Amino acid sequence: MKHWWIWLIAALLPLAFSGQAQALTGEEVMKKSQAAFLYPGKDFKARVVMKLINKDGQERVREMTMLRKNMGEAGGDQKYFMYFFRPTDVKDMTFMIHKYPARDDDRWMFIPAISMVKRIAAQDKRSSFVGSDFTYEDVSGRDIEDDDHIVEREGKVGDRDCYVVKSTPKGSDADFGHKITWVDKTSFLPLKEEQYDKKNTRYKQFSADEIAEVKGIPTVVRRTMKNLQTGHRTEVAYLKTDYNLGMEDSLFSERFLRQPPRKWVD
Amino acid sequence: MFKFSLVEFSIRRPKLVIWATVALTLLFLTQFPNIKTDTNPKNMLPENSDVRVWNNEVDKTFALYEDTIVVGVRNDDGVLNRETLGRIARITDEILKLEGVASRDVNGFTTITNVTAEDGTLKVGPLMPGAPHSQAEVEALRSALSGNPLLVDRVISKDGKTTAIYVPLEKGANGAVIAGNIREIVAGEKGPERYYVAGDPVARDTFGAEMFKLMGIFSPIAGMIMFIAIQLMFRNLSLSFTMMGVAMAAIIISIGSLIGTGYPVHIMSSMAPVFLMAIATDSIHIFNEFYFRYRERGDKLAAIRETMQAVSRPVRFTALATAAGFAVLLFMNIVPVQVFGGLIAFGTVVLRLFSFSLIPAILTFVKEEKIAKAAKGESVELDRTARFLHRVGGIGAGRPLATMLAGLVLVGIAIVGTTKIHVNNNMVAWFKPSSEIRIADTAMNQALGGTSLGYLVVQSGEPEFIKSPETMRWLEGLQRYLETLPVVGKTFSVADYVKRINRVLHDDDPKFDVVPDTQDTVGQYLFLFSMSAKPSDLDNVVDPGFQKANLWVQLKTWDAEAMRQVIQAADTYQKAHPLAVTVKPAGIAWFNLVWNDEVLGDLVLGLILALVVVFVILALDFRSAKWALVAYVPLLFTILLIYGVVGFVGKDFDMPLSVMSTLSLGMAVDFSIHFISRFRQHLAESGGATSEAAVREALLWTAARPGKGILRNALLFAAAFSVMLAAPLTPYMAVGAFIVSMMLLSALLTILYLPALVMLGRNWLFDQPKLAADTAPAIVKGD
Repeated sequence: MKHWWIWLIAALLPLAFSGQAQALTGEEVMKKSQAAFLYPGKDFKARVVMKLINKDGQERVREMTMLRKNMGEAGGDQKYFMYFFRPTDVKDMTFMIHKYPARDDDRWMFIPAISMVKRIAAQDKRSSFVGSDFTYEDVSGRDIEDDDHIVEREGKVGDRDCYVVKSTPKGSDADFGHKITWVDKTSFLPLKEEQYDKKNTRYKQFSADEIAEVKGIPTVVRRTMKNLQTGHRTEVAYLKTDYNLGMEDSLFSERFLRQPPRKWVD
Repeated sequence: MFKFSLVEFSIRRPKLVIWATVALTLLFLTQFPNIKTDTNPKNMLPENSDVRVWNNEVDKTFALYEDTIVVGVRNDDGVLNRETLGRIARITDEILKLEGVASRDVNGFTTITNVTAEDGTLKVGPLMPGAPHSQAEVEALRSALSGNPLLVDRVISKDGKTTAIYVPLEKGANGAVIAGNIREIVAGEKGPERYYVAGDPVARDTFGAEMFKLMGIFSPIAGMIMFIAIQLMFRNLSLSFTMMGVAMAAIIISIGSLIGTGYPVHIMSSMAPVFLMAIATDSIHIFNEFYFRYRERGDKLAAIRETMQAVSRPVRFTALATAAGFAVLLFMNIVPVQVFGGLIAFGTVVLRLFSFSLIPAILTFVKEEKIAKAAKGESVELDRTARFLHRVGGIGAGRPLATMLAGLVLVGIAIVGTTKIHVNNNMVAWFKPSSEIRIADTAMNQALGGTSLGYLVVQSGEPEFIKSPETMRWLEGLQRYLETLPVVGKTFSVADYVKRINRVLHDDDPKFDVVPDTQDTVGQYLFLFSMSAKPSDLDNVVDPGFQKANLWVQLKTWDAEAMRQVIQAADTYQKAHPLAVTVKPAGIAWFNLVWNDEVLGDLVLGLILALVVVFVILALDFRSAKWALVAYVPLLFTILLIYGVVGFVGKDFDMPLSVMSTLSLGMAVDFSIHFISRFRQHLAESGGATSEAAVREALLWTAARPGKGILRNALLFAAAFSVMLAAPLTPYMAVGAFIVSMMLLSALLTILYLPALVMLGRNWLFDQPKLAADTAPAIVKGD
C-alpha cells in the first residue's frame, strides 16, 4: 500500500469540504440566500395572488402580474413592474419600482381613473407592500450590509437542513430588533424567518410553503407572512412563474406604466 | 318563637356566643387577602349585554383597541419648535419600547400617517419620521399640519400649543404600569412643556386607588366617629365597643363572603363598610330601650329580656325593610348595583342575627353600676333631648292642621324642584376638578377634538358600497352636519382620506378637496393609500369588504346626553338625505348613554319595587294598610324634599344617587316602624283608650322615648356618612350628603308628622279600636 496517503486524502476530502461549507460566515449565507431568493434568472415573471386575511378569516385579494429584471449582479439594482387585476376597481393600475441597494427606491404609480402617473416617495422600505403583511424589504430584499449576520446554529425545517442566521440591524433606524432566518443548505432559499421587535418579542413570521423548480431554478411559489401580534396574515401564490424571458429595459419606463404591453402583463 | 329562644340561649351561654362570633369573623377575615377590584366602567353592564356585545364586534371589525392612553404635551409658546419636537420624538421612541404598548399603532407626530405631495411626489407616511434638524424642517411640518383634517384636532391643536400621543395597549396589558412608565419618561425631559397622561386605563387606576382609600381610610374614620358619638350618647365604653364590635363583625363577614365568592369590589360595594356600620346603628334602639328599662327595673337580666321583647318586632321589621330595600337592587340591570344590594341585604341579616344573639350576650357582661350611672340621665323628664323631642312631637300633635299645610307647601315646592332633575352619568366628573384626571381631561378637551369617543357605524347590505362617491359624499355631509353640534369637537371618516388624497394628487389644490366623481377613482385612491399607510389607518374606518364605514365622533363632554344629540342629528340627517344604509352608534360614549338610560330605568323600577315592598312590610308589621299609609308619609316627604333640592341645585342625578333613593326608602322607613310600633304598643299598655287626650299622651311619649332612639340612630347614621363628604370621589360625597340629609330629615319628619297625621286621622285610624288594641300589643302580652 504505497499510496496509502491517497486513500487518506480521499477519506478526509469530504470532511475538508464540509468543513469549508461550515465555515461559511453569516454574511456569506445571507448573500447566497439573497441571490437564490431575490435575484435568480436575468428576469422573472409571475402572476401573483395575494390573500390578505385578518384574524377573523376575512379576506382581501390582490392579484397582479409581477415583472422583475436584474440590472447587474446579485445584490445590485433591480427593476420591478406590477400590473394589478384585482381588486376590480384598481384594474389597470400599474406600479413600478427601481430598486437601488444603497439609496431610496424610485417608485411610480399609474392611477387609471384620473389617468395620472405619480411618483411615490419611498421613505420607508419597512412599510407595507400593497397593504399586505410583507414590507417592501420582504418582497425585494434588505441590503446585506445593513445588518450583522451570524450563523447561530444549524437546524431543520421539515426534513431540510438549514443554517440558522441571526441578523441584527447595525443602525437604529430599523423598526425591528433582529431576525432569525432558516436558510436551506442546498437551495439557499429562506424556508422560515422570524422577525423580533425591539422589545425582543417575535412579531412576524415568514414561511416558504411550497418550492418548485422552474427552468431548473428552485422557486418559492407559495409563501405566508404572518403578523403574530395582530393575527393578520398574507398568503401569496406565484402562478405561471417563468425566468429569462428577455425583457427589455424600456419596459420599465413611465410610458409603459400607462400602457403596458399585453404580452407582458397577461 | 325562634328569636326568643335565640335571645334566651345567648343570655345563658354568652361566652359561647361571643367566641363563636369571633371564630366565625376570623374565618371570613382569611378571605381578605384575595380582594380584587373592578374599576372598569364597562362592567357596569353585564358582559352579554347588547351594547357590550355590539361594541366588541365594532372593535373587532374596525381593529380598534379597548384601551388607549393619551399623552398630552403642551407648550404655551407652541409645540412647533425644534426643542419641543425633539422631546416629543424622544418620548415617543421610549413609549414604543414599553412592554404592552401596541407600538405599531401608536399615533403621534413621529408615527401618524400623513398624506402630502412634495415636488410632485406623493408621500404617504409618518408625519415627522424624526426630530427636525433645521428650522426649515419645522416650517415644513407647520405647513403640513395647517388645515389638514387628518391631523388638526387629533395630534395638533388649532392654536399649535398642544399635541397628543395616542398609545393603544395590547389586550391584557397593565395600563397602570404603562401609565407610570410614561410619567417617568416625561419626567425625564426638562423644558417648559407640561404633560398630561390621561385615558381610560389611567382613570380606572385612579379610581381603584380612591376606592381602597375609601375602604381603608374613610371607613375606619367613619367607625371612629360613630364610636365617639356612641360614647357621648351612652358614656359607657363597653357599650360603645359592643356596637362597634357588632358592626365590625358584620362588615368582615359580609365583605369576606363577597371576596370569598369571587366577586370583585366595585365602586358601589366599596361603600358597603360605611353602610353596614350605619345600619348597625339600628341596634341603638336595643340599647336605648335597655337603658330606660334598666332604670325602671334595676334587674339586668330581666331588663335584657324585656328590652328584647319590646323591640324585637320593630327591630325585626326594620331589618326586613332595610334588607328588602337593598334586595330590590338585585332586580336592577347594573351589575355592581346588584352585587351591592345583595351584599348589604346579607350584611343586614347578619347584623340582625347579632342583635338577637351577640348583643344580649354582651349586655350580660356589662357591669351593673356602670349602666346605672349611664342610665341615670335616661328619663323622659330629665333628658334635654327627650324634652326637645317631646316639644317637636307636641307641635305635630297640638297643631296637626298647620303642620300638614306647611308640609304641603314644601311638597309643592319640592315637586317643582324634581321636575328640574337631570339624569346624567359623567364618569370623568366623578373625579374632583382638582384631580389629575380632570385637569388632563379639561386641558385636552379645550385643545383637541374631545376625549369622549363615539362611533357611528354606517352599514350597507352591498359589498363595496362605501366606495361609491354618493356614500362618500353622504358621509362627508353627515360629518359637517354633526360638527354643527356644540358637543362635537371633531369627526373623522374614510371620506377624509379620499378627499385628502384627491387634493394632494392634484398639487394640493384646495379645489380638489372633494370626493371624486367615480367609484373607481375612490377605489384607486384608497388602494394607493393602503399601499403605504399603516394597515390600521384604513381598518379603523372601513371594514375589509367596504360594506361598513366607521365614523369617529369626538365629543367635548362625557355627559351621556351628548351622544344622544349625535344620534338624533344622524337620524335627522338620514331622513333629509335618504341612503340605503343603517347607522348604528357604538363606542364608549354610546355605552355611557345606554348605561345612563339603564340607570334611569333602574331608578324608576327600583323606586316602584321599593315602594311596594316597603308598603307590604309595613302593612304586615302593622297588620293594617291604613297605618302603613300613615307610616309612608314621612318617608315620601323626605325623599321628595331631597329630590327637590337635587333638582334646584342642579346636581346630576347619577347612578350612586339613584341607588341611594331606592335604598333610602328601606332605611328611612325604619323610623316610622319604630315610632308607630312603639306608639301602638304604649297605647295598648296604657289601657287601649283612643280618646284624643290618650292618643296625644301616647304620641308625646313616643316622640320623647323611642323618638330619642330614632334621633340617636339618625345622628349616628349621619355621623358615619358625614365622613364621605370629605371623600376623594364625587359620588362618595354625593352619597354622603344624601344619606346625612335623608337620615336627619326623615327622623325629624317622622317625629313631627306622625303625631300630626295620627291626630288628624284619629277617627279613621281607630274606627275599630278593639282590633287595633288586639293586634298591636300581641307581643307584649308575654310580660
